[in-house]
Amino acid sequence: MTEHIVTSFDDDLDELEGLIRSMGETASAMVSRATRAIIEADEALSRQVVSEDLVMDARQRELDDKAITLIARRQPMAADLRAVVGAIRMAADLERIGDLAKNIAKRVAALGEAVAPRHYSHSIETMAETVLEQVAGVVECYERRDAAGLGDLRAADEAIDIQYTAIFRELLTYMMEDPRNITACTHLLFCAKNLERIGDHVTNIAENAYYVMTGSQLPPDRPKQDETATVSVE
Amino acid sequence: MASYSRRRTTNIVALGLAGFATFIGLFFLAAILATLIVYGGSAITPRIFIQNTPPPGSDGGLLNAIFGSVAMTLIAVVVATPIGILAGTYLAEYSRGSKLGELAKFINDILLSAPSIIIGLFIYTVMVVPFGHFSAWAGAASLGLIALPVINRTTQDMLGLVPNALREAAAALGTPRWKTMTHVIYRAAGSGILTGVLLAVARVSGETAPLLFTALNNQFWSTDLSRPIANLPVVIFQFAMSPYQDWQRLAWGGALIITAAILILNIVARLLSSSIGTSK
Amino acid sequence: MNDLAHSHAFPAGQVAVAHAGSQAKALPAKIETRNLRFYYGDTLALKGITLALGDRKVTAFIGPSGCGKSTLLRVLNRIYDLYPNQRADGEVLLDGRNILNRSEDLNLLRARVGMVFQKPTPFPMSIHENIAFGIRLYERLSKAEMDGRVEEALRRAALWSEVKDKLNASGLSLSGGQQQRLCIARTVAVKPEVILLDEPASALDPISTSKIEELIDELKRDYTIVIVTHNMQQAARVSDQTAFMYLGELIEFGDTEQIFTAPRDKRTQDYITGRFG
Repeated sequence: MTEHIVTSFDDDLDELEGLIRSMGETASAMVSRATRAIIEADEALSRQVVSEDLVMDARQRELDDKAITLIARRQPMAADLRAVVGAIRMAADLERIGDLAKNIAKRVAALGEAVAPRHYSHSIETMAETVLEQVAGVVECYERRDAAGLGDLRAADEAIDIQYTAIFRELLTYMMEDPRNITACTHLLFCAKNLERIGDHVTNIAENAYYVMTGSQLPPDRPKQDETATVSVE
Repeated sequence: MASYSRRRTTNIVALGLAGFATFIGLFFLAAILATLIVYGGSAITPRIFIQNTPPPGSDGGLLNAIFGSVAMTLIAVVVATPIGILAGTYLAEYSRGSKLGELAKFINDILLSAPSIIIGLFIYTVMVVPFGHFSAWAGAASLGLIALPVINRTTQDMLGLVPNALREAAAALGTPRWKTMTHVIYRAAGSGILTGVLLAVARVSGETAPLLFTALNNQFWSTDLSRPIANLPVVIFQFAMSPYQDWQRLAWGGALIITAAILILNIVARLLSSSIGTSK
Repeated sequence: MNDLAHSHAFPAGQVAVAHAGSQAKALPAKIETRNLRFYYGDTLALKGITLALGDRKVTAFIGPSGCGKSTLLRVLNRIYDLYPNQRADGEVLLDGRNILNRSEDLNLLRARVGMVFQKPTPFPMSIHENIAFGIRLYERLSKAEMDGRVEEALRRAALWSEVKDKLNASGLSLSGGQQQRLCIARTVAVKPEVILLDEPASALDPISTSKIEELIDELKRDYTIVIVTHNMQQAARVSDQTAFMYLGELIEFGDTEQIFTAPRDKRTQDYITGRFG
């Protein structure tokens, strides 16, 4: 896009975009580290994720301040207005992704005693890979202003929902087989739930980014594949 | 710093020259007024306003000359004002962009700066020669002809100062054009136009040359406008050139009266035009 | 930006309110221009403008200086007719009748289409007379009726409480903001159907500006309002529809909400975000 007549306006907008980018990268790294910490029972890594969440929170506050100041000082219009409002919303979603990653990381300590079901977590690892791809993908699409890519990303959330439903059934089965698995499996279930939530936030970010770029919304209908609300043990 | 001190020097020199020029102008003005007051002041007695011009060697005043001047100036202005204002209105408001209007403006400006003696000669040719004698009417006509372009031009200028926005605002209400002129534009330009008329009076009341060819002079009291009539400028001219002491004294008195009258008119005009400034 | 093709060729008597993804809804048009061209001497200042202004809507014309937005406004009440070398062709329909016709009675047209200018233009007369002047052009009223009308107009312009004790003071003695509201009152007093506002607040302080904007919100219930403004936030605040003009052409016309959040044309986008080179 052409530059503003007032160049410091461009600087302000660049700063917001830089913050979103760095929050996106941090969120992506946190999700990756949190799942690795769970799978490898790496408590040091989990502590790192917890501390990174503080960074995320600080960045989000910084972004909010900058965005509000920018609105007050420059009264952005059209694409600029969408960029600023979009940045505020995306930062909120990224911050939530950080929180969820932290929540996953915190379960490493609890899972430490229940070593037995660790081999069950294979499917969680697969799901985490998909989620990670989504997080990295949405950050990349935003940076490259790739509106079409964002649409694809949102569609890909379907795969995560399917995986989550599968894990839900799987973990239920383990718990029924041996009640001693219940603690570990419940924690893993929460991890899977968190990953699924991260996927939803990625979808939100994709929708926001699409609006920022094009000025119109992604079509509202989106397939829902998370069937766990209706799954029961028969 | 060197350039700063040079700028200071230049500034002081320029200021000095400007101040000197102002001083010269004011000095002569003050000198003229002082001379008038010194020589004319003693002539200003009640008698000068109640007696007619005397024969040499006897007492008298300037009553007939003052009356003649006032009468001719009044007639001239009363006739020239409506014509001048209407012509000025036409040129400023209605003839915009037309060739006739541009030509008329140009000719009016020439008339404005025409030497008054030529106007006197013109009236002499068209009014004095055909009727066979000098008259107050002819004097008034020549003065009117001098006042007309002044009033015309100031009317044009004053109407030109009324912002177009005001005309548009009146038109935007659906006001017919004549009503815009009479109710809005003249009100806005009124005191300016009046100032123009007063300035024309001031200009005209000191004119001597055209009156020499038209009204001439009259030793005696006369209110007959078709006869020659006494008037201040010509009386001053004649009396000042005469060898008689008391005539010369009266000439100084008359000069002082005209100057004072013009000064007062100018001050009134100035006050009126500054009141336009504050009402905007 | 997606530079979608946009059309201003709307069907007769309708304003097509184009909005991304939503179906166009039709509003009755009060004023419609069709292929309107305007000339200052030989200079073409409007290059074929076709647009329709909704009844009892506020339409804002925006665009850089010299884009023709004021020119377009000045065609709508034919105020340009005061100047000999300005002319318009094409059609301007007010309630379906072409006002560019030679036979159009300009004074009656201007009674229906009022105008307020950039600089306040009170007449050199009293506040009361400023209002009564316009009313008297069209109606013979008794003194009591006239006083009532003057009060009503001043109340509509939110000026009554400030001037009710000095109705005989000169209109020129008021502050700039009050003078402008006096001009609006004067315009409203003759009961027009359309009010044209040519940068009505550009010479005013922020408080007076807010009062004028509040007034526009008030007035749009009864009048079709067209406003030219350089202040984009103002256009965004007060208008229902916005037309962006550039170099004598209508670039984009649509709902204000859409123009200021997601304009379709790159030039509109660049202008309203402050990127104009």
